[in-house]
Amino acid sequence: MIVVQQLCFSVGTFALQDISLEVSRGEYFVLLGPSGSGKTLLLESLSGLHRVDAGRILVEGTDVTRLEPRRRRIGYLPQDYALFPHLSVRSNVAFGLRNPLAAWLGPESRQVDELLQLVDIEPLACRKPRNLSGGEKQRVALARALAVQPLLLLLDEPVSALDEQMRDALCRQIKGLQRRTGTTTIHVCHNFAEMLAVADRVGVIHAGRIIQTGSPQEILQRPRNGFVAQFVQAGNVLTGRAASAGRGLRIACADGVEFRAVRAGPASAGHDVSFIIRPENLRISRGEPSPTSRDLNLLPGTVGELTDRGAVVQVSVACGGGLSLQALLGRKEFATLNVQPGDRVTVTVEPEDVHVLEAE
Amino acid sequence: MSGFFSSPSRAGKPVGGLSSRLFAAAMLAFVVLFVGGWLALFAADVAYTSWDAVGQVLRAKEIRAALRLSLWTSGLSVLIGLVFAIPMGYALSRYRFPGHVVVDSIVDLPILLPPLIIGLSLLVFFRTDVGQFIENSGFKFVFQKKGIILCQFLASASFGIRAVKLTFDGVDPRLEHVALTLGYGRAGAFFWVALPLASRGIVSGAILIWTKAFGIFGPLMVFVGAVRMRTEVLPTTIYLETSVGRIEVALAVTILMLVLATAALVGVRILGLGKS
Repeated sequence: MIVVQQLCFSVGTFALQDISLEVSRGEYFVLLGPSGSGKTLLLESLSGLHRVDAGRILVEGTDVTRLEPRRRRIGYLPQDYALFPHLSVRSNVAFGLRNPLAAWLGPESRQVDELLQLVDIEPLACRKPRNLSGGEKQRVALARALAVQPLLLLLDEPVSALDEQMRDALCRQIKGLQRRTGTTTIHVCHNFAEMLAVADRVGVIHAGRIIQTGSPQEILQRPRNGFVAQFVQAGNVLTGRAASAGRGLRIACADGVEFRAVRAGPASAGHDVSFIIRPENLRISRGEPSPTSRDLNLLPGTVGELTDRGAVVQVSVACGGGLSLQALLGRKEFATLNVQPGDRVTVTVEPEDVHVLEAE
Repeated sequence: MSGFFSSPSRAGKPVGGLSSRLFAAAMLAFVVLFVGGWLALFAADVAYTSWDAVGQVLRAKEIRAALRLSLWTSGLSVLIGLVFAIPMGYALSRYRFPGHVVVDSIVDLPILLPPLIIGLSLLVFFRTDVGQFIENSGFKFVFQKKGIILCQFLASASFGIRAVKLTFDGVDPRLEHVALTLGYGRAGAFFWVALPLASRGIVSGAILIWTKAFGIFGPLMVFVGAVRMRTEVLPTTIYLETSVGRIEVALAVTILMLVLATAALVGVRILGLGKS
């Protein structure tokens, strides 16, 4: 298990502030955040490339905070892979074995062969890094980091420089490798789809602070605050005044549009709150709302813009008072519904899907 | 655009019109003027001297001794120069410390100052108590062959340090950082990553040290004198032959030095200094 306790490190005007984190053995943890949020700085601090100002880093129970990078058993794959340009692929992979002959002789050379096979770069063994594509470089760097059998593997945006197709394939390969080797991994990225492809658990970092950790679905469905909601593309981020309503909450938006929410957030009655409704959680039906026994949010509205997003269609519904909701419908569902701009519809939202955000 | 005014690289070459050609011609005109000027000087030297004089130079015992002395002293200066240039170039490239700018400037001083000052300063230094102590301890420099090496080293090392520092500046420190995470210490990262990557620059630095050390004259006259067969290097030979009016022989030695220096500079280009 990797434990980071109240880690602080400042460089210039930027600071990592009070970072606390736990990553279980064998877990694939993704650190998600925008550019300049401190992701790389945190990885470099964990790998020992910066002397931290405060806090502790424990790797499998050993405090490595003051240890040199070479004694931490933390593998690091930097963003541009940083392959040694003067060495062949094979020598790059063998570099961490600390034996000049390891690439070619003895049992260590078999280990190098296995690693080359593992990441599927055996035919490239004699090439120099300058003759490799981005994806090949990434796999060489991964094999090189794995050669030292690290207890923790740090991947700094390992696929961000690649095209979308290559990114998907390599994400699957990295995840498969991580499963096979069981190496605890922290993967840094700013790409939402990349996170979903590999993460067991996610942490969202912003301005040097970890804002929220949880499963990918928790982060998606229950973002902690407005920043996380925006970053995970929560879709409908709304504001209104909260009032108590039994066990739940009633939130009054513009011009009398009202939502019921299960009180899950920290909002208290009588205050302005922000809340989200994910576009995929909205249901749309034709016609005006009809009474129902269930405590649902039913909003009449008019279909506005329709946007084709490939697998889904984004439907914009104007619900009055300037309130516009975005819904995502599967192609089949959209075809069945058969709505056009200007049609009257009813938007249905479960109170469980109205998620109240913490104030920032 | 292909042909006479072509770019060195075929990639990323923009479409050029008449104005581009005129611009390139204007730039290259200065190259032609400068190189042509130097070639005219060389040609005048070659025309002035004769094959007899060249043969005389190559056969003369004193001049062959001067050539040998020039070669081994400048070679040793290169080795000593590199012993300083590699760690100093690395330290100045990688570490920041109070007074870094001042230290960096002091390293460049010998490049800017007239070389004569080095000889004069050495002569003064070896008259001090510390200098006398060194001389009396068996390390005699004044008017000795060892003094030649000291002068050559002090006059030329800065060129090597500067070249090596610039090369280390060009080696991405993150490569060394990765080596640290792969089980290497600072020294290991230096020897296995930074040093091999800087090898071309180090060789180029060595050649720069050699060319400077090989041609140095002013400080030697002051510090070790111009004693035939003892402290006479090729530049001293040129001076001595000129002073007795044997201009043809002096020019023949000059041509010999020019051939050796040209071979060294072409070597620098082939090793990649030109590319960087």
